[in-house]
Amino acid sequence: MASTYNIAMVSDFFFPQPGGVESHIYQLSTKLRDRGHKVIIITHAYKGRTGVRYLTNGLKVYHVPFFVLYRSASFPTVFSFFPIFRNIILRERIDIVHGHASLSSLCHEAILHARTMGLRTVYTDHSLFGFADAASIFANKILKFSLSDVDHVICVSHTCKENTVLRASLDPLMVSVIPNAVVAENFKPLDYSKPLPASFRPHHPPPARPLGPHDMITIVVISRLFYNKGTDLLTAAIPRILENHPNTRFIIAGDGPKAIDLEQMIEQNVLQDRVEMLGPIRHEEVRDVMVRGHVYLHPSLTEAFGTVIVEAASCGLYVVCTQVGGIPEVLPSHMTVFAKPEEDDLVAATGRAIAALRANKVRTELFHEQVKSMYSWTNVAMRTERVYNGICGAISEAEFYGYDAANGAGSWSATRGRSGVQSFALIDRLKRYYGCGIWAGKLFCLCVIVDYLIFLFLELCFPRDQIDICPDWPRKERKLDGKEPG
Amino acid sequence: MAPPSGLHQSAIPSDFETPFPPLVRSSTVPAGLTSHRADPSHLAPEDAYGSFSPPRRSAPYDSLAHASATDTHPLRRGRKDPSRSRSRRRKRFQKLLWVKQSYPDNYTDQATFLENLQRNPRVRPYDFWPLVADSTVIVQHVCSVIIFIVCFVGIFQERVSPVSVVGWGSFATFLGWLLWDWWVTQETQGQPGDDDARGRMMRGGRAYRDYQAPRRQDSSGLDPSMLNASTVSISSISNLPSAASSTSNLHQEPQRSTNPPGVTTADGSGLLVPTHAHSRSASSINSITSHASAAAANSSSNTATTAARVISGSDGPGASTQSSSSPPPTARNSRTYVRLSTIKSAILIYFTLLGLSPILKSLTRSTSSDSIWAMSFWLLAINIFFFDYSGSSWAGTGTGTGNASAGGATTATGTTTTGTTTTTTTTNTTTATATTRGVSGINSSSYSSSNKRMPVSALSTNAALMASTVLASRLPSTGQVFSLTLFSIEVFGLFPVFRQYARHRRSWRYHAALTVLLVLGAGAGVGMILGDEHGWPWKKAVLGMVVGCLMAALAMGGCSWWLIGLQKYKNEIYGPWDPARPIIISRRHWDDE
Repeated sequence: MASTYNIAMVSDFFFPQPGGVESHIYQLSTKLRDRGHKVIIITHAYKGRTGVRYLTNGLKVYHVPFFVLYRSASFPTVFSFFPIFRNIILRERIDIVHGHASLSSLCHEAILHARTMGLRTVYTDHSLFGFADAASIFANKILKFSLSDVDHVICVSHTCKENTVLRASLDPLMVSVIPNAVVAENFKPLDYSKPLPASFRPHHPPPARPLGPHDMITIVVISRLFYNKGTDLLTAAIPRILENHPNTRFIIAGDGPKAIDLEQMIEQNVLQDRVEMLGPIRHEEVRDVMVRGHVYLHPSLTEAFGTVIVEAASCGLYVVCTQVGGIPEVLPSHMTVFAKPEEDDLVAATGRAIAALRANKVRTELFHEQVKSMYSWTNVAMRTERVYNGICGAISEAEFYGYDAANGAGSWSATRGRSGVQSFALIDRLKRYYGCGIWAGKLFCLCVIVDYLIFLFLELCFPRDQIDICPDWPRKERKLDGKEPG
Repeated sequence: MAPPSGLHQSAIPSDFETPFPPLVRSSTVPAGLTSHRADPSHLAPEDAYGSFSPPRRSAPYDSLAHASATDTHPLRRGRKDPSRSRSRRRKRFQKLLWVKQSYPDNYTDQATFLENLQRNPRVRPYDFWPLVADSTVIVQHVCSVIIFIVCFVGIFQERVSPVSVVGWGSFATFLGWLLWDWWVTQETQGQPGDDDARGRMMRGGRAYRDYQAPRRQDSSGLDPSMLNASTVSISSISNLPSAASSTSNLHQEPQRSTNPPGVTTADGSGLLVPTHAHSRSASSINSITSHASAAAANSSSNTATTAARVISGSDGPGASTQSSSSPPPTARNSRTYVRLSTIKSAILIYFTLLGLSPILKSLTRSTSSDSIWAMSFWLLAINIFFFDYSGSSWAGTGTGTGNASAGGATTATGTTTTGTTTTTTTTNTTTATATTRGVSGINSSSYSSSNKRMPVSALSTNAALMASTVLASRLPSTGQVFSLTLFSIEVFGLFPVFRQYARHRRSWRYHAALTVLLVLGAGAGVGMILGDEHGWPWKKAVLGMVVGCLMAALAMGGCSWWLIGLQKYKNEIYGPWDPARPIIISRRHWDDE
């Protein structure tokens, strides 16, 4: 029986800012709390939110005041976070530091400091990066620095895992794939037995079911309208789809720099009555928009996981999506039609989807239950817990990494200690950082040494026994959901 | 469109809670570094941190790389059929997230891990001699800069008469212009509406053709503001900055009337304005626009302008076929007209420079010479580093009559820049605006097919002209200042145009001959300058030529060889995580509408 842990989730991205990473952290934290762990969240201060907050379920959030650089990523000062971080960690008696999102400098700094303090670290990667441009090279170097000494990495899809392994030069065995999930209750299909919600104005009849040959088919697109979300493809494809298929219409929700292109397309093709642009919507409204349609079109050019297509499928929409990134792994083929990221293929795929729907070949009403059984945050929390058990030695190395990993450890990870976990010894850590590159390795070693000196200084000036231990929120009973993994 | 069978339900048993089956290392961990490398083009995980050199371009790898390069979307296919492995007791590992795997989360499947990774799929191997041939462009430019410096030193040390320098320079420019004019005439007459040439023009920007049609019909009846708005909106679609379209709008009217009365006045005022010290920076933009319009009007009869060179390029011969309104006699008349206007603008520039020279002479009197040397060194370095060696802006130069006037327009731009840089050095406060205006002036007036790189090459030209201005201000007499400035315009403004035209439109022989001539000239010049003043100059010149040729050969060959040698470190990684490149073909459908 594994013990429970005190976990600190660290990321620059958290509520009140909306987004996928934010809700991932929140959902994972609440589910981990349900399983008896103690979870706190450390993020930077948002406007109007500084200090400590409690969320539902006793989830404690530390908003650390930090200068925000760009798109709510904090300014990377390698060491300035350490004193307050150490204080929080000691107050909350944290065992495991779990960082999120590769663009969050707070997360990387926290991982570095946590290793200096002798804590276990986990990192979750939510995004894909290329290798070609200068910005990616820089970001990858930073990631390599941060992940040189991490205990385990979680990726949201297999493609993401491949990418992260290459970017940070990791041992693939220390990278787990744990997908995102959806709260299926929030994405229920339209209940025809109940009165319709207010979002259905008189000229928007609810989607007909079963679909007759001349019923209107509504295609929903919900995405930020950016280049990498494939808005160009969408702009090119919409007139052709509408031309090929009478009795179809589009609902587009979302905002971004490419919205102007879409509007121009609508005006030039005089499609005002067939394309409805809703503008930016909040995440709570996504479901209400989705249930107005039959098909969800997702023309993205890169995507690590694509939570929105899972949400769409959960709402009972037939999904047409481009075959990029981690998307092909996400949904079974009977829920999706895949297209190449080409205009022709997207038009053809949408045509296939419409034809299948008109023929009533797709049982979209079953989608919700299926998605519900595929993705749940409880499952995600359980799998994350296994990672925690693995890095803390609660399950043996042989079980966590494979049977003869201990014997063959010399060839794989020379620095993994005898207990099957990464050693904390400074010299071992320096060895790991030194391999990052000719110049970068030395620089990273310097950073680690400075970090260690700061740690010693802090121990001297602010001794541990003078830091108050904060009382815990009453923990939940550990749920006994079947056998424990390990 | 898989039928909604029950397979997904059986594929989602709640077997997560059951303990994982024992892992066998051989199934999860690669046993060694070499044993599993079945496919050399597959990157194994340990390659990421091992020191390695990517596979050399062996024949099988090459074919594989090409095969994968043709397959532009290396996405996984046919692997998400869960029914295939369902019957087995222990399920095959699948790269799927919705399946409850019977493997732990950190399981790494050797068969499928990184299977879509591509290394160096788009690498084209360099060949030695083409690389050397391409490097001649750089050698040419460096040599012309050296020749300019040599001429300056010669004038400065009073070893060369400035009149002879500018005389020979102007003579060469005139010869070059005649040659070019001859080429252009030959091309226009030989191949009116030549498909090849037009294809070349259109290369890199077929959006131009796409939006031309609407503009032409727009411009027939609408008032300019609406015209402008519509063009801008269209150009924003085709990623064209509005500067080009708005400038090109200026030409629509003179296009119809073959007599441009405002040319000389516009040109003259634009050139003379910079002599007024105070309103320089403000008016330089006026002069720029007036140059643009002047250049536009210059070639109005056949719509060939530098400002919209691509448009003119496609219109020049193209318009005659499209609108069928310009038969050959008109073309010939227009050629004569263009020649005349070029000569006219050349004369104007000549006199403007003559008027400017006294000001330039005393421009930096209060600055020490050391600063000037350092400054001009850096400016020339900027010129060399930011020069547009690709020549793409000229590759699309039309076969039409625009070319002759291109020289004129560039000259005009050069003069404008001189004025602008004058402002830069005198008034500190307006420096930023003046330079930006200078850049934007060149940008808008010599706007052509490379929309994005143009600012960089404009920076290069600006830097060179500023360097020549500050250098000229060191010279003691007005005649010397005038000579050096005029020479710099010839070297930095006109000569690159000619060189690139010769390279792109003419045969390789001209290019090679020009390169050899330049190298010899630069070598001889350096030899003479470095040599003793009283010695026998020709001996030094010959020595300099030999050394120059040797150095050029060494540099070209050595750098090419080095670059080829560096190719083995090339390790581009492509995979499904890269943003896909969307293929959009129907954009013009709705652009034209």
